[in-house]
Amino acid sequence: MGNFCSDVKGGQQAVGGGNQAIGGGGGGYSAGHNEAVDFFFRAKGEHALFTPMELSLSATKLRDRDIMSKSDPMAVVYMKKRDGKLEELGRTEVIMNNLDPTWIQKINVTYQFEIVQPLIFHVYDVDTKYHNLPVKTLDLKDQDFLGEASCVVSEIVTKRNRSLTLNLHNRDGRGLKNLGTLTVHAEETVASRNAVEITFRCSALVNKDLFSKSDPFLRISRTVETGGSIPICKTEVVNNNLNPIWKPVCLTMQQFVSKENPLVIECFDFNTSGNHQLIGKLQKSVAELETLYQSKAGANLISPSSGFRRREKVLKSEIFVDRLVEKQLYSFLDYISSGFELSFMVAVDFTASNGDPRNPTSLHYIDPSGRLNAYQQAILEVGEVIQFYDSDRHFPAWGFGGRTPNGSVSHCFNLNGSPSDFEVEGVEGIMAAYRSAIHNFALAGPTLFGQVINKAADIAGHSLSSHHAKYYILLIITDGVVSDLQETINSVVRASDLPLSILIVGVGNADFKEMEILDADNGDRLESSSGRIATRDIVQFVPMREVHVGQMSVVQALLEELPSQFLSYVRGRDIKPLNVPPASS
Amino acid sequence: MEKPCNSSKVIEVTVISAEGLLLNRKKPVKKNACVVVRSDPFNSRSTGMDREGGSYPSWNEKLVMELPVRARFITVEAHSGSKLIGTANIPVSDFAGGYLPENYLSFLSYRLRNANGEKNGIINLSVKVKGEGAKSGCGGGGSCTASCSGRPWTGVPPVDGSKVSDLGIVTGIPVRYRY
Repeated sequence: MGNFCSDVKGGQQAVGGGNQAIGGGGGGYSAGHNEAVDFFFRAKGEHALFTPMELSLSATKLRDRDIMSKSDPMAVVYMKKRDGKLEELGRTEVIMNNLDPTWIQKINVTYQFEIVQPLIFHVYDVDTKYHNLPVKTLDLKDQDFLGEASCVVSEIVTKRNRSLTLNLHNRDGRGLKNLGTLTVHAEETVASRNAVEITFRCSALVNKDLFSKSDPFLRISRTVETGGSIPICKTEVVNNNLNPIWKPVCLTMQQFVSKENPLVIECFDFNTSGNHQLIGKLQKSVAELETLYQSKAGANLISPSSGFRRREKVLKSEIFVDRLVEKQLYSFLDYISSGFELSFMVAVDFTASNGDPRNPTSLHYIDPSGRLNAYQQAILEVGEVIQFYDSDRHFPAWGFGGRTPNGSVSHCFNLNGSPSDFEVEGVEGIMAAYRSAIHNFALAGPTLFGQVINKAADIAGHSLSSHHAKYYILLIITDGVVSDLQETINSVVRASDLPLSILIVGVGNADFKEMEILDADNGDRLESSSGRIATRDIVQFVPMREVHVGQMSVVQALLEELPSQFLSYVRGRDIKPLNVPPASS
Repeated sequence: MEKPCNSSKVIEVTVISAEGLLLNRKKPVKKNACVVVRSDPFNSRSTGMDREGGSYPSWNEKLVMELPVRARFITVEAHSGSKLIGTANIPVSDFAGGYLPENYLSFLSYRLRNANGEKNGIINLSVKVKGEGAKSGCGGGGSCTASCSGRPWTGVPPVDGSKVSDLGIVTGIPVRYRY
C-alpha cells in the first residue's frame, strides 16, 4: 500500500493507563453493561441476571501480511445477535510488528447465563498509515484480514483457568492454511471506584541502541492466580533518554485487583521492528510502590536472565515513584444516588412531513377509538423511563415546526399553549399538552431543531450559576427529516460544553441518515459552520422501529449512551458526587 | 459592590492538545509543535514544544494572560518549529458572558485553518475567566487588576444563537491570516 512514510507514533503511545480523553468525546467508560439500565430494572424489582466480564486477548503465529516488516495486529470482538447481526463490543489497540501479540486493551462483555452469547473475533493487520488514529475510527474494510474465530461466552467462563484457545480460520470457514491461534481470557469485572495515579521515573538505564540512546517505555502486568501475567497498561515511549520520566499512569482497582497483588513492571527499549528489548524488570505491588514513593528511594531493576548460567543480575538502573495519588473514579450511579438530578425536557415534531393529522395514516392522527399514534406511543414508552430518573416530574415541553394560531410558524412553542409557562407535570401532562397542541397548531415546516436545542442549552446554561448538581436531557421526538442539518449541528456544537445531552427519538419509517450524523458514534466530531468543534458527543439517536421489533428495550435504547455522556461532563470538570467532601485528596 | 471597571480581565487558557496537524497539506507534523495564543496584537503567550506527539501533540499547558475588555476574539496559532500550521479565532462569547458564570471551565475545540483557509487539524483547549482571587494568577501580564473581579463580566454582549448582536460580530468565520 502506498503510504508515504512509516508512522511509528501510534505504536509509541500509552495504552490502558486511563488517560482521560478530554475533548475526544467518548471517555474510557466501559461498554457492554449499562449501569443506568441495570438500576432501572433493579429498582423495579427485576434483577438483571448478568455478570460484567472483561476479556483479555492474545494471539500466536499470526500470518505475516506486511512485506517489509511484520503484521500490525488488532483484534475486534463482536457479539452475534439473535437475528444474526454482529454487534461490535470493542477493539484492542494496534500492536506494531508482532505476530504473537498480547493486547492490553480489554473488551467488556456482559455474561448472561440464561442465553447463548456467541462471540466472533476478527484479527486485522492495520496499515501503518492508520496508526495515529483512534482505533474506533478505523474502517475495517481498509485493513488486511488475518483471520477469525468464534466461541460462546459460557465456553470461556466454564474453563477452569478461564482461558480458551481458538484456531483462527478464513472468513469462509475453510481452514486450509494455518492462520495461528487466538487465546481469550475472561475475568469478572471488579466494580471498584478506587484507582491510583503513579508517575514513574528511571535512572541510569542500560543503553540498548547503537547510534543513540535507548527509547524506553514501561509495561505493567498483573500476575494471575492461575499462573502467568496479564499486561494492564504501558506508558508512552520516551525517545533517546536513559533517565526518562513518563506521564502519569492511572491504574484502576479493576486492573490491579488489590494493593497486595504483585505487579510486574518491565522496562523496554522501543524498537520500530516490534522487537522491543527488555532492559530490566522488577516485581512490586501497589502497596510496595507506595512505600517507595514515601521513602523517595529507588528500586533496582533486574536484568532478564541471560548467558550460560541464566542468572538474573541486579542492575544499576533504578526505578523511582515520583508521585502516587489515590483517586476515586465515581460511577454514574454514585452521582445519581448522591442526589445529582437529571432533568428531562421534551420537544415534539409538528412538521407537515408527519402527514395530515386528520388522515389515519398520519403519525399525528388521533384515533377516536383511543388507539395511540406513533408519537403518543413514543411519549408513553419514553415517559416511563424519564419519570424514573427525573424526580420532580416537571418537564418543559415544546413543539417545533408548527403554525401557531396567529398564523406564523414557530420552531419552539410551548406545547401546553401557555404563552409563558412551558412546564407540564408528569407523562399525563405531556400527553394532554400534546393532544391539545394537535388541535391548536397546524403542521407546517421546515424541520429545524436549532431553536429547541438553543432553548434547552439556555436552561442548562442558566443552571450553572445556581444549581450545580443538575444535568439536562432534551428529548426530541421527530419523524426524522431535518431541513437544515448544519443549523442543527451549529446548535449542538454550541451546547456541547454544557450539562446537556440530546436524545433524538425517531418515529415512523423515514430515512434517519441525518440523525446518524448528529449521533457522532463513528468517531467524527461535529463541526459548526464557524469552525467550532463539539467538545464531546452529546447526541444519541434511537429509532423507535428498532425498539418495536424487539431488537432492544426502550430503556436500553434510551439510556445507552447517557452514563458515558454524563461522566464525560462531570469527570472533565472534576465534579464530585454530592456526598463526597470536596478536595479530599 | 464595586463598580465594574473598564480594564482587562485575566484568562487562563489551557492548551490541551491538537489533532491531525499536517505540514504542506499532506505530511504529518513530526515534532516540535507549539501553540501561540493571542488576545490582541500586543498580548500573546506560547506553550513549549511538544516532543513526542508528532501530528497529535499534547501540551496540557496553562497560559495565563490578559484579555482586553474590547477583545472579541482570541487567536490560537499552531506552529511546527518556525512554520505556521494553522489558526483558529475563538469568539470570546464562547467562554465568557451570556449565562456562563465566572470561573466556569469551558472545554472548547476548534478547526484550525492554514494561511489559505484550508482545514488543517483541530485544537482542544480549556478557558477560564478568572473571577475573585485571581491576583496570584497573572503571570507577567503587567496591569492585572484585582479590583474588577467579583462581578459577571459585562464586556461582551451575550450571543444567543438566533441573533447576532448589533455590534456586528460574526462568530468565528475563518479569515485569511498572515504575518
